[in-house]
This record gives sequence, structure tokens and C-alpha cells, in this order.
Amino acid sequence: MKRTAPLLLAAALAALLGACGRGAEAPRQYGFNPPLPEPRQFLFPPMGIADPVGWGDAMPTVPPGFVVQRFAAGLNSPRNVLPLPNGDLIVAQAAGPNLEPNLRPKSFIFSWLMNSSHGGEKGASPGEDALLLLRDTNHDGVADQKVILTGKLASPFGLAWANNTLYVGMTDSVWRYAFTPGQTTLGQGTLLTPLPGGPIDHHWTKSIALSPDGSKLYAGVGSNSNIVENGLEAEHDRAMIFEVDPQSGARRPFATGLRNPNGLTFYPGTNTLYAVINERDELGNNLVPDYMTSVRPGGHYGWPWSYYGQHVDVRVQPQRPDMVARAIVPDYALSAHVAALGLAFLKGGNFPAQYQGGAFIGEHGSWDRNVFNGYQVAFVPFVNGRPSGTPQTFLGGFTMSGRKVHGRPVGLAFGPDGALYVADDAGNTVWRVSWRGDAR
Amino acid sequence: MADTGFHPRIAIGGVPVHAMLVPFPIACFTGALLTDLAYAGSAEVQWTNFSQWLLLAGTVFAGLAAVFGLLDYVLNPRPARPGIGLWHMVLNLVLFVLAVVNNFVHARDGWTSVVPTGLTLSAVMVLIMIVSGFLGHRMAYVHIARDARHADRRDERPDGRTIREDRP
Repeated sequence: MKRTAPLLLAAALAALLGACGRGAEAPRQYGFNPPLPEPRQFLFPPMGIADPVGWGDAMPTVPPGFVVQRFAAGLNSPRNVLPLPNGDLIVAQAAGPNLEPNLRPKSFIFSWLMNSSHGGEKGASPGEDALLLLRDTNHDGVADQKVILTGKLASPFGLAWANNTLYVGMTDSVWRYAFTPGQTTLGQGTLLTPLPGGPIDHHWTKSIALSPDGSKLYAGVGSNSNIVENGLEAEHDRAMIFEVDPQSGARRPFATGLRNPNGLTFYPGTNTLYAVINERDELGNNLVPDYMTSVRPGGHYGWPWSYYGQHVDVRVQPQRPDMVARAIVPDYALSAHVAALGLAFLKGGNFPAQYQGGAFIGEHGSWDRNVFNGYQVAFVPFVNGRPSGTPQTFLGGFTMSGRKVHGRPVGLAFGPDGALYVADDAGNTVWRVSWRGDAR
Repeated sequence: MADTGFHPRIAIGGVPVHAMLVPFPIACFTGALLTDLAYAGSAEVQWTNFSQWLLLAGTVFAGLAAVFGLLDYVLNPRPARPGIGLWHMVLNLVLFVLAVVNNFVHARDGWTSVVPTGLTLSAVMVLIMIVSGFLGHRMAYVHIARDARHADRRDERPDGRTIREDRP
């Protein structure tokens, strides 16, 4: 009799784990109208937590004809890159605000699991949140100067530059700094506008983009929870993209219902804002797909009440049929839980024609799947300014055997030299990918 | 023939540790049902947070109570074990498994952490507790007390002291 409780428990757990083990098939939730499985509710949500071990001498993989270089290593959680017209690179380093209180027993377990998969080899501390300037004086594809422009920032992530002004999206605000390319110092900045930060600050990255004419700035603000488990009050001014006047700081909602919008980027030659969105967790291995979408002014994209258009999320009470009816179906699914955090479009440069106009997407990688998804820079071809076909792996080799990973890609951008620069926070590296000129 | 009375083996000042622990799961699981009902009626997330802590605390103390209750049971000679204690134990093992499952159900995010599965489990747990609690108390106040009265007439316990010596 003494053994009954553990035996019963073990049997129950085994049954549950067995039920979870069915998600191993390759995800098919790509592109337009992805097939969405029925939502499921779990006792244990599907999980695969990455264990970052760094790169050592290993290198990511690229398609034939490309070459990847370690532009800068030994950084501290680099999250995003901003190439300047003179070829210098500004890098945002952030440990993450770590403000999330343990409101429930689950929070303790999750904060422990997640911190282990984000810290990287060294694990940055908040005091090391900084803007760096990397310079490659001899143009060999490897930075030979590294300057700390400013430190002790509030989790910087978003970066934009125009008209000799550098804009930085901190987790609680957007700041502007006078900055002329060539500078290796940074003066005092000024606060442009506050944004929702703590308390909680569940999704903390504030991606920013300037409109092509520089007249408007756009700032993404992620939700303060997975699916409103911290209460709807905690979601005030969250899960949306703001339009900000870069002179006065006045702001208004531009689009809403975007759970965690990042990679804000205008499609080259247009006034169409694109973003990649991290969708909700704990509904299954292949639900809900993260997506890339053009962002319609005034559009509502569902969160929290529905996903992918009118698919109601029963975890949100009270329900809002009026908001569900308004929800826009996004343009292009990237498959579930890839954690898309970076987006860059290719315009010009020397990459082969098939890549022109296409989207490069930094996929930080899944935790809410039994089998890893993401952990790569994906490429989505565009035809006539619209996404077309299935995503391809552009920069790969991030995962190893088991749960070990070398690194995790985040923000990325093309430099004036035509190369793609990729921030790798868990790998503490900035990668540079260029076209070698032949596809042997 | 030796005394066949049931004596708690793990006690502090004559009070069984098991008896001191059982109020915690009873209060916590009953509280979790109430906070579940409050959440189901209001959709205010703080109520499900309360439920989650109550369920966790209740489960931990239920586990401890089970360990001490089981020790008291197996450390008494077989003839001394009241049959009713077996039913008390079986029901509480079911209760413990349900409590563990309910902790995981409540770890879901939002409405489905409670409605409908979590609330149902919390209600079933309280129903089981009413029965198993009754059995436990009947064991303590009727079966064991009756055995003690029998032993009282013999005025002797296996440890050689008399019942009367224990009295104030």
C-alpha cells in the first residue's frame, strides 16, 4: 500500500507524457492559410528547453556560395544590430529586465527553466546592458574595433537611425541621440516617449522602425503575458504597435492585437510596415504559428481573444466576439513557436537574384515544442512584393545533439556592404554573411 | 494477551503528528474550491493564483500527513490496526493523486486553469475529503477510543504504564 501513491502518479505521468509525444512530425504550419490543428490543453505543455553551450570553433552553415564570418565574438547577449552608412555597426546588448514576479507556483519553475536557456555562456547582467559600436577598419569581415557607446541602459533592443539621429528602443521608452556616422562616442540622449515596461515586463523587447521619409517612428510593444494570465489590466498599451512622432514624442496606437511584434521594417521602396509576431503558447506543438505580416493601419490581429483571424482562444474570459470579428488574418505563417524576433528585407547588394526582395527572419527558437523549431535565420522569397513559397534555412547549424545549441539568432540587418549581420544572443556573437560570388 | 489498542507511534506530547498536519490540506483544499468558485464567477486572475498556492500548500501538507499517518499505521501491530484506517488511507491516496493532477491543471494559463477541469477536480477533492475525514475522525474518536476504553479496564499498556498515570 505504501508504494501505491508513487505508482499511480508515475502511471498518470507516463500517460500524459505519451499524450505529449505525438507532436514530433515536421511542422506544416507555413505560408498562407496554414493548417491549424485543434487547440489542446495540457497538464504538461510540450517543452524543449535549449541549453546554450557557445560555439567554440564551430560555425553556422550557409547555402552554397555564401560565406559566414565571426564579425564579433565575446559579446554579452547581443540582441540587435544596426549597420550605419559608413559600415560601422551599432549593437544593442541586453540581459533582459528580469522584472517578472513569481505570482504563481508555475512562475518559479518557468523563470528557472527560461533563464537557463537565455543567458548564454557567460550570462550578461543588467549592468552590462549597453550600446556597442563595432568597426571593421580593414574590411576583412571581422570587426577590429569595439567601443562601448553608452552603458547601464534599460534593456535596449530597437535601433533606428536617420538624419544624424539615433533612436533606441529601451524596454520602457524610446530615446534619441545626436549621432553622425563615424562618431565613436555618444552624448546624452533625450527621452522621446515612454513605453510600457515594468512591472512584469513579460515581453520586453521594443523593436522600432522609421518610416522611409523619416516622419514617423513605429515601436512594437509585446504583451505582458502568454495569454492574459496576469490580468487584462497588465496589458494596457501592450500587444500593439505605436506610431510615434519623432519630434514631439506624441504617440497613438497604429495596430493592435499583435502579441509580441518584433522586426519592424518597411518593405523596400514602399510605405508598408512589416513585422514578425510571436504567437501564443501552450495550445500544442503546432499551434499557434508565429507569423510575418504587413501591418495595416488601425488593424486588429486578434490577441488575446483570437488567433489567426477568428480562432477563439477559450483561455480568455470574458470573450469578445466584437474583437474576434475584427481580427485580421496575417499574411504568412512561419510555423509554430519559432520565436521570430528579427526581420530584414534584401534590396540591392550582390546576393543572387532569387534572394532579392525576400525576407530574412531571425528565429530565436522554440521552447513550447517537443522538437526544436526555429534556431535559424529563415529566408522567405517574395514575388511582386508578396511572400511566396516556403521558408528556407539561410543561416543554420545553431542546434546540436539533444537540447544543446550553439547560439540563438535574434535581430538582423543588411549593411551597406551588402552583407547580412545577425545578432546571436546566446552565442554572444555577431555573424556576417556575404556572397562569395560562385555557388560551387 | 497483550494490549491490542492502537497507539500513534509518532507523537509530540501525546498528540500524533498526523493529527496536527491534517487540518492543513483540509483547509487549503477547501479554500481552493472557494477561490476556484470565485474565479469562475469573476474571471479575476488573482483568484486562480490563490487557488494555485492553496493547492500547492495543501498537496505538500497532505503528503507529509500521509507519511506520518502511514507510519502510525504500519508501526502498530497488525491486530491493532483498525480496518476503517485502510479505507481512510485509500481515499486519501486517491485525493493526493487528484491534488497533484489539479496542481498541473491550475498551472495552465487563464480560464482553463480552473474552468471546467480544475473546478471539477477541486469539488471532487472536497467531497472525498468529507468522507475520508469522517472515516479518519471516526477511527480516532470511536475505534481507537473504544480500544483505549478496553485497555483502560485492563489498566495496562504494553509500555508498562497504566492509562490512569497519563491522566491529569
